[in-house]
Amino acid sequence: MKAKSNILLVDDDTLYLYLMEHTIKQLTETLKVDTFTDGEQAVEFITKCTEENVELPDVIFLDINMPFLDGWGFLAEFKKLKTKIENNVNIYMVTSSMRDSDRKRAAEFEELSGYVIKPVNKVQLKEIFTKIYHENWQE
Amino acid sequence: MWKRVLKMLVGLYLPLLALSLFLYSSQKEKQIKTLSENQKRETTIKKNNFKEQSYSFLHDTHYWSTLNYPKEFDPLGKHEEFMYRYIELVKAITDYDQFRFLDLNGKEFFRAVRVAGDSVVIGNLQAKQEHAYVKAGLALKRDQLYLSQISLNRENGIIEKPNKPVIRTVAPIFDVENNQIGLVVINFKMKSSLDVLKSKVADTNVYLLDEDHRIISSSTNLEDLPYEFGDTNSTLAGILDPNINTYMRDSTFVDNNHIWSQQPIILNGTTHTFGSKSNKSSKIITPSNWLLVLEIPPRLIRASLLPVSESILTFNIISIIVLFGFSYVYQKNKIQKEEFYGELESKNLLLKKSKDQLQKNNLVVTEINNCLEIRNKQLSDFNYLISHNLRAPVTSMSVIVEMIRNEKEPEKLNQLLPKLDQVTKSITHLTEDINEYVAILDNTQINVTEIDFLELIQEVENEFTETLLDDSTFEVLVDFKAWRKLTYSKLYLQSILHNFISNAIKYKRENVSSFIQFESAYENNKKVLYVKDNGIGLNLERHGENLFKLYTRFHRNISGKGMGLFLVKSQLEALNATITVDSNVGIGTTFKIIFEK
Repeated sequence: MKAKSNILLVDDDTLYLYLMEHTIKQLTETLKVDTFTDGEQAVEFITKCTEENVELPDVIFLDINMPFLDGWGFLAEFKKLKTKIENNVNIYMVTSSMRDSDRKRAAEFEELSGYVIKPVNKVQLKEIFTKIYHENWQE
Repeated sequence: MWKRVLKMLVGLYLPLLALSLFLYSSQKEKQIKTLSENQKRETTIKKNNFKEQSYSFLHDTHYWSTLNYPKEFDPLGKHEEFMYRYIELVKAITDYDQFRFLDLNGKEFFRAVRVAGDSVVIGNLQAKQEHAYVKAGLALKRDQLYLSQISLNRENGIIEKPNKPVIRTVAPIFDVENNQIGLVVINFKMKSSLDVLKSKVADTNVYLLDEDHRIISSSTNLEDLPYEFGDTNSTLAGILDPNINTYMRDSTFVDNNHIWSQQPIILNGTTHTFGSKSNKSSKIITPSNWLLVLEIPPRLIRASLLPVSESILTFNIISIIVLFGFSYVYQKNKIQKEEFYGELESKNLLLKKSKDQLQKNNLVVTEINNCLEIRNKQLSDFNYLISHNLRAPVTSMSVIVEMIRNEKEPEKLNQLLPKLDQVTKSITHLTEDINEYVAILDNTQINVTEIDFLELIQEVENEFTETLLDDSTFEVLVDFKAWRKLTYSKLYLQSILHNFISNAIKYKRENVSSFIQFESAYENNKKVLYVKDNGIGLNLERHGENLFKLYTRFHRNISGKGMGLFLVKSQLEALNATITVDSNVGIGTTFKIIFEK
């Protein structure tokens, strides 16, 4: 198992993943980023972390529409694992859906820290990082 | 209306009429009975009075016959003094019209005739031996009295005017030595007696008849003894059938609306004790018995029944008026009620019709509503598809463009440019998929025909020939006992069946003989198609809600675009069919399709 990652990107859109990684790198070199293209892989990763007592990422950017297991499915599985998770994990729903129903559904999950609509720009990322790491994330 | 009123009136009135007629007849009978009884009593009284009168005449005569006359009695000569006080007696008895003594040869030897009031004159003596009463008188024995017929007095054979009805009594007279010396003959004036007899009670007619039914005296004849001077109304002929009243006995009867009451007065042969009871009784001899007849004419019966008939008539008139009013009101109400009910019924019918129409409309509306709901859902899905799936690459593109603008290093630029290409490719794929989807939504172009499922499945199966030949462990089973023909879009059904078979092959379990089964059924009068396989199945708890969504895939190691079931659902919904799923991991999946009518 690798060392703890700070940020987890879960999205089936590989272009989005590339662009997010790129953007985050522009902002900071200190935060380690990991990516998964569907919820199932992400759940497997987190299960493995809890099994091997590796700290979970601080932030998860979660897409809704994904194959094999979507964002909602991931959240349901995450809930099951919650008792085994020791550190604080901030999950942000990141989606291009502007549907009210999705936003409402998201509000029902207390595990969620926020709901962000694509594209995610640098300003938004800075805000989120500052909230979580205060001043400790910039070089 | 009037016919019904009349009918009801008649129905109600007839019993009343019958009752009133019955009452009238019983009243009439009663009345006649009462009248008859009264009449009978009246007749008896009159008869007794007349009898008394006759007895009083005979009593007088009896008196004269019991006197002890002197020997060689000569009332006009040597015994004038003896006669004197008797003449005073004769004067005082005003009923006496004539008082005579006749010798045994029928010649008068004393004759006193009343001239007026209480004056009596001694008349010229006449020989009367030829007269019937004289002959009968001479035949009398001791203690026998003779009473003559009532007749008009004649002098020398000529009827005395004014008419003077008289009755004669005759009795033998004896001298002191008890030798018969002659007869005493008294003429009694009958006028006042007859007047009393025929005096009317109410309008009753009274007749005194002799044995030959000749009228002696009657209330209908002005003069007595009409037959003696040839009056035509001298009998009851024409009024009463002579055959009826020939019986010489008491009788009361009704004949032709007359009430007749008749009683005979029979003195001939009877005996009577005159004066003291110790006297020897006398036998009465008379040539004629009488018949006393009382008649109540119809006019009187009618008059006596008038109050009854008047009250019954009044009752009937009032009944008719009241019943008519009642019938009219009742029938009018009834007709109004009938009309009201008729109206109600027709209104009810109308209401029922409109209710049925409403229900039909409701059904149509519900159907339309269902269609619209599905349509709405499809539109919403389409909206989502556009907003989400198209937005993602577009936003990515904007980010890349922004990066390119800020990127100075040509090396990094070269890395970014191919990404743009990736975006355009994904957009192109997306628009192609959308095109396919829109074609389904736009169902005005759907061409529906009657499709034989067995044939179509065979057709689709042929598209997989190679695949199926490769793998002999896969079978397509069919069961179309319930129904096998359906009106639907052939193109869609083809695509739907293709997707099902393709999925069943893709997701079959290894090491088992796999199959897909199509089975038709009826549920709630709707055609239902079950599509069942024994494939790897699906965790519905995890994926249920996403099963029919676009670009959703559930099996990592099996290739797929994530569009098959999405299109199946769209194609079914485009023609009002619905699809549900039941699946178990490691056992298989069953789809249920319900075709709306």
